[in-house]
Amino acid sequence: MREFIRFASEHADKLLAQTLTHVGLTFLSLLLALVIGLPVGIAITRRKKAAALILGLTSVLQTIPSIALLGFLIPVVGIGVGPALLALFLYALLPIVRNTYVGISEVSPILREAALGMGMTDFQILTRLELPLALPVIFAGIRTATVINVGVATLAAYVAGGGLGEFIFGGIALNNTAMILTGAIPAALLAILFDFLLSKLQNLRGVKIRRAALFFLALASVLSAFYWAPRLNQTKLIAGFAHEFYGRDDGYPGLQKTYGLRITPRLIDQNLMYEAILHQQVDVISGYSTDGRIKAYQLLTLTDDKRAFPPYQAAFVVRQAILDQYPNLAQTLNLLAGRLTDSVMTEMNYRADYRHESPEKIAREFLQKMALYRVAEGGNRRGTLVVGSKIFTEQYILAEIIRLLVEGHTSLRVVTKTGFGGTKICFDALRTGAIDLYPEYTGTGLLVILQPNRVKSDSLRPHPEATYRYVASEFDRRYGLTWLPPLGFNNAYALMMRQAQARNLRIQTISDLQQYLDKNN
Amino acid sequence: MIAVREVSKNYGAQAAVRDVSFTVREQETLALLGTSGCGKTTTLKMINRLVEPSGGQIELNGTDIRQLEAHVLRRQIGYVIQDTGLFPHYTVADNIATVPRLLRWDEAKIRHRIGELLDLLQLPQTSLTRYPHELSGGQLQRIGLARALAARPAILLMDEPLGALDPITRLGIRREFLRLDELRQKTTVLVTHDVQEAFELGDRVGLMDQGQLVQLGTPKELLLRPANDFVRNFFLDQRLSLQLRIFTLSDIAPFLSFAPTANAENAIELKPQTSLVEALEKGNGSSPLIFRAAGGWIPIDASAIWSGLNGLARASTA
Repeated sequence: MREFIRFASEHADKLLAQTLTHVGLTFLSLLLALVIGLPVGIAITRRKKAAALILGLTSVLQTIPSIALLGFLIPVVGIGVGPALLALFLYALLPIVRNTYVGISEVSPILREAALGMGMTDFQILTRLELPLALPVIFAGIRTATVINVGVATLAAYVAGGGLGEFIFGGIALNNTAMILTGAIPAALLAILFDFLLSKLQNLRGVKIRRAALFFLALASVLSAFYWAPRLNQTKLIAGFAHEFYGRDDGYPGLQKTYGLRITPRLIDQNLMYEAILHQQVDVISGYSTDGRIKAYQLLTLTDDKRAFPPYQAAFVVRQAILDQYPNLAQTLNLLAGRLTDSVMTEMNYRADYRHESPEKIAREFLQKMALYRVAEGGNRRGTLVVGSKIFTEQYILAEIIRLLVEGHTSLRVVTKTGFGGTKICFDALRTGAIDLYPEYTGTGLLVILQPNRVKSDSLRPHPEATYRYVASEFDRRYGLTWLPPLGFNNAYALMMRQAQARNLRIQTISDLQQYLDKNN
Repeated sequence: MIAVREVSKNYGAQAAVRDVSFTVREQETLALLGTSGCGKTTTLKMINRLVEPSGGQIELNGTDIRQLEAHVLRRQIGYVIQDTGLFPHYTVADNIATVPRLLRWDEAKIRHRIGELLDLLQLPQTSLTRYPHELSGGQLQRIGLARALAARPAILLMDEPLGALDPITRLGIRREFLRLDELRQKTTVLVTHDVQEAFELGDRVGLMDQGQLVQLGTPKELLLRPANDFVRNFFLDQRLSLQLRIFTLSDIAPFLSFAPTANAENAIELKPQTSLVEALEKGNGSSPLIFRAAGGWIPIDASAIWSGLNGLARASTA
């Protein structure tokens, strides 16, 4: 708890900005849902046949899991605030349409006939009788929609829509509980607050509720504008950063320290980052230097001229216990040492990401080329080796290579457990024996797991071999885990831009980028 | 003046109203009487076009009602309904002001008119800012009437206006309605299933059954000359009390004998238009009752009233 308070107060600026964005997203989508939902709800009270259809349709929308809905929307409206807003809008639609419909339908037919008998027109009956009487029910719908949207809006951070979800996703990626809470607690408080205030409005009657309705509309418009508030002073170029990169010492904070780089970040899922830069929704992303999409999307990797990013030599980390248990295993695994160069790995990533070839096929063809491929013998297999991987393409391919290699060369059965959400999660799985080995990078092991003091990490940063030696000996000493020899490639963090834009702005290095931003803001 | 000509209303194959014709003269009150489902409410609603007739024609002061837009027509007609139909989210003042506001009267005029109506209907000024749910049934009914009268319509349609009230309150408000000049000056169609109410409030009564108007006439005509057995049977169990209420001393005078002497000592004189029920109530036994008819004084007591009624009945069937 104390950690949470410290983290929250250290990031008060960002917390405020994210809260504003979050409130803005919630009310912007709510306002949209009101603008569309109210007339639709009213219209279907006039056409009862359409009512069943429309209400059914909005109910179906409501049952789609929110993350899946976002997934459906990305191909349609791209990345950024679009899909987030659209998804939130769709979720808010049902409670508003349904409650408008129910509220108006529940107005007594006697009153409607009295109003008609007095000489009111249809429109006057709607505005003077039906809507005022339906207001408490409509407010109940708005209340439901608001509470749903405050919750669902956390997912906006998945697609660079911003909001309190940035802390939550970042916290999950970095296994930082204080960070998760910094997003989750304000989101929960917002939901409780709005729920409470709207319940007050809902219980008003007579003239008061009509005034409250107008007041609410005005307020919702103001709150919607909050969405843009944090965006007023954004930089000329916009960065799309993965949540983990944004929070890690060797990620954006490292760049700020080394280069004095200041760029407005949009936090986004790391697999969507490349789509975002391809579609010009962001200008700079935090990629990995061996990612296949660099080639596919014609991106330029900015040179790390001040060596802000530590070396990230890839190697397998293995539990010493499993090496002791199967003495031949180490020998088999070491067959890969130095075989995977940068270009080989990039090529394989490209084939997986861009040509959609299966990791299994890519792995087999790689082993065949290296003359390491052997068809696994049938029959009983004794013993099991569990291979883990983090949730990105390169790690899937590496896990497949290990599986084919070990099954071909030994009689072990290999099980792959892929898709661990972050470094800490993968590392914990290894330490507790849930997996036996996974591919890791020296820089990540150093900064995320070992976390040495500034002096030590600064001294190691320019020296890949020294880093490897330090990491390997510390892992062995502290955790009983063994680093196998480096595989050959270096998958460091890298900043990337679209080649065309970089050429136009004459940016080649991170220093160029920093100077450009300083000059143009 | 309201003229209803051969009006019918069918719902599918079901005929709710069949060939109904009547006229309501200026300032006259016509009571449409009948059991539920007889078509009386449907007939009423066709006059303000809440129901469109399947056939026939309705005229107000010589103009076919279809020549006006429905909402324009309705703003000229006062409409009172059983459950008052007061808007729960409007204060009493706003409820009364409904039609004047639709007609875009200016607010000062509306305020003045509301004040008038409150006095007329004996409602407290404090009720103006109240909401309907805070008031009693009798008050609500009066506010419903005030709302119907607010824009001074020449025509008033009342659908079971007292139906939701308990019998005591109903009687009180009925008496109150009768005393209101403003109400008496309206051309009114009243729908009710209550015979007493129809006879008391209606200048003429139209008895309806199965969508048809069976007989239309003054209360006296309906009692003395029923058109058929249905009409006779309809009033059978209340016949005596209706007669006592409807007929006056002058109605039975022809069948009574004059007093032998001029004017008895300490006799109480009644007016000839006194109803029989009143005359019975006045006769306490201590002092004789008399009234003056053409040709002399006639003494009145219970037996004289009974024989007078018998004479009236014999004469009308003869």
